[in-house]
Amino acid sequence: MNIVVCVKWVPNTTSVNIDQKTGTLIRTGVPSVINPHDLHALEMALTLKDRYGGSVTTITMAPPSAKLGLEHAIGMGCDKAMLVTDMVYAGADTLATSYTLAKAISRLKFDLMLVGQETVDSSTAHIGAQIASWLHIPYLYYVVDVKYLGGGKIWAKRLLEDAYEEYELTLPALLAAAMHSTKPRRVKLSHKLRCRSEPVIEVWNNKTLGLEVSCVGLKGSPTIVKKTSFVPEVPRKKVVCQPRDLDEAAEWLVKRLVEERLLKI
Amino acid sequence: MSICSEWDKINPAEYEGIWVYLEVEDGALSEGGLQMLGVARNLAHKKETYVGGVLIGRDVSQLAREAIYYGADKVFVADDKRFEEYYAALYAEALASLAKEYKPEVILVSGTMRGREFTPYVANILRTGITADCTSFEVDQAAKDVLGVRPTFGAYLIAHIRTLNRRPAIFTARPNVFPTPEKNLAREGEIIHTQPKVADVCGVKIINRTRFSRGTVPIEKAKILVSGGKGLGSKEGFTLLQEFARAIGGEVSGSRKAVDAGWINHDKQVGQSGKTVRSDIYFAVGISGAVQHLYGIREARCVVAVNQDPDAPIFNNCDYGLVGDYTEVIPALIKAVKKLQKQSNPENKNA
Ligand SMILES: Cc1cc2nc3c(=O)[nH]c(=O)nc-3n(C[C@H](O)[C@H](O)[C@H](O)COP(=O)(O)OP(=O)(O)OC[C@H]3O[C@@H](n4cnc5c(N)ncnc54)[C@H](O)[C@@H]3O)c2cc1C
Ligand SMILES: Nc1ncnc2c1ncn2[C@@H]1O[C@H](COP(=O)(O)O)[C@@H](O)[C@H]1O
Repeated sequence: MNIVVCVKWVPNTTSVNIDQKTGTLIRTGVPSVINPHDLHALEMALTLKDRYGGSVTTITMAPPSAKLGLEHAIGMGCDKAMLVTDMVYAGADTLATSYTLAKAISRLKFDLMLVGQETVDSSTAHIGAQIASWLHIPYLYYVVDVKYLGGGKIWAKRLLEDAYEEYELTLPALLAAAMHSTKPRRVKLSHKLRCRSEPVIEVWNNKTLGLEVSCVGLKGSPTIVKKTSFVPEVPRKKVVCQPRDLDEAAEWLVKRLVEERLLKI
Repeated sequence: MSICSEWDKINPAEYEGIWVYLEVEDGALSEGGLQMLGVARNLAHKKETYVGGVLIGRDVSQLAREAIYYGADKVFVADDKRFEEYYAALYAEALASLAKEYKPEVILVSGTMRGREFTPYVANILRTGITADCTSFEVDQAAKDVLGVRPTFGAYLIAHIRTLNRRPAIFTARPNVFPTPEKNLAREGEIIHTQPKVADVCGVKIINRTRFSRGTVPIEKAKILVSGGKGLGSKEGFTLLQEFARAIGGEVSGSRKAVDAGWINHDKQVGQSGKTVRSDIYFAVGISGAVQHLYGIREARCVVAVNQDPDAPIFNNCDYGLVGDYTEVIPALIKAVKKLQKQSNPENKNA
């Protein structure tokens, strides 16, 4: 099975901090990582390859610095990687991003596409469905398990709020790997070293793809961010104590909650 | 503003009305859809337009009246055996087909798992903008268009997002971020039976569905939540929280780190990538108060924090806080509850 996996190179949002003095976001020095949810998509793809053979190609649309992320994916065992990068792709919303990725992906021969559930920086969970729409292929979100059935069909199991569902999909198809669905493998140095000796990472720009400039990047994006602001704080009482007598404090609190009619005793 | 030559041209001025996609769950309108009707009423009032509900499925016609009671002025019903099973692309095509025909200005969809799965596909068919997980909406006074406000960059910032030149503008919001409106049996409205054009579903077929009972009250419905974080140190910590929850008639939930550690199930995660809760009391025990966690508890009426670190950010975002080791604080709270229960109801042997 030939599999394409979409990954995004994102700022590690867990190490973002707010400058308490100025109230601004400290973005500098924030390292980037492969979107953690995409590691599950990569693992799912590599497991399928281990089981059924074939190849795994990973693709990202990003500035050139995302090469580091692709090297990580190669290190996990991907065969090839595509970096889709061009100034004209900048500022894309999910419609334009998915359009560009779909055009790039349609140059590849694949049976199955995998994406992560969502990204940690924008967390829209749009791109998977949107790529499936551009490519006119069946798709399924929240997938926890996949098997190849033969005859160009796969079985996929997914987890919803209150049910497991099993589906049969005809290839080519797109699946979004659920959060927590796998144990992503580590990078192997021997794999990663291939980046030095072989041309495993290919760079595609808009000369390669030849897309109309008004369909990509900021121009091809129906949505724009009008402004950003901080999350407004919820007004709270902030009555905090470090009690000497715990029993007394606990009783005081419980009574208080009863008085406020929040708790019934 | 250049528009991709591959897209159909549209005239935004022709688009009118605030639509809500109404998901059907176990033969009833889902709570999330009702909540979006509340949002739609508000926007329709500001924009002086109508609220449209969209019902897709088989044997769903009888729910149209219910949608009117909750705020719809018109309900577009696509009741057909073709829609017996939900398939993302199928439902997306149906909704997009109706949108092409009736031209609403806005479509709101509750971001349930299915809602999140099929709505981006609708946006693509219509070549329009979609904004996910909105936490509020604004009507721009000058342009009169609707903006979605959503967390971004890992919820450290919020972005105010506008859809330019394309209609309808599509927005999703997570269930429970907005309140459920009152049901008003006196409301009247129009029911429109429709025949959306869809291609046959191909390439995807459901072969089995196993429903599981969540066992307890889902956390999004709980009045009292006792939530545990990484600070519990182990799964056993949750046994103590369970005991406390039982004493006060509450349910147990957790932070993402608690979920990641495998101490509590994924469906009980509170926060930006988990659930938004609207409980009367939310006990945050051994939870530091990361922005993404705080996002899920904005709608809680009262937040009580228990943490051994007096500088934990949760203390800046709580109503009441007790600084201390939870293994001491929680037993003290249980003791206090039992004592007061005995005082107020001396006969109750269980107390
Ligand atoms: C895109 C994105 C989405 C996210 N979504 C979510 C989400 O939906 N929900 C969520 O919760 N997180 C989410 N996170 C993760 C979030 O950033 C935090 O990492 C997480 O909330 C921290 O969990 P915690 O408070 O349990 O753990 P920690 O931050 O490790 O805090 C543990 C706390 O326990 C206290 N403690 C330790 N021992 C004791 C004791 N004996 N008694 C009392 N207190 C004790 C410590 O002082 C500390 O404050 C998300 C992150 C990102 C980037
Ligand atoms: N720029 C990108 N390049 C490649 N894949 C992406 C990109 N953005 C998003 N994806 C994929 O789409 C999934 C959903 O992302 P999102 O819609 O941004 O939440 C991610 O988990 C990735 O697999």
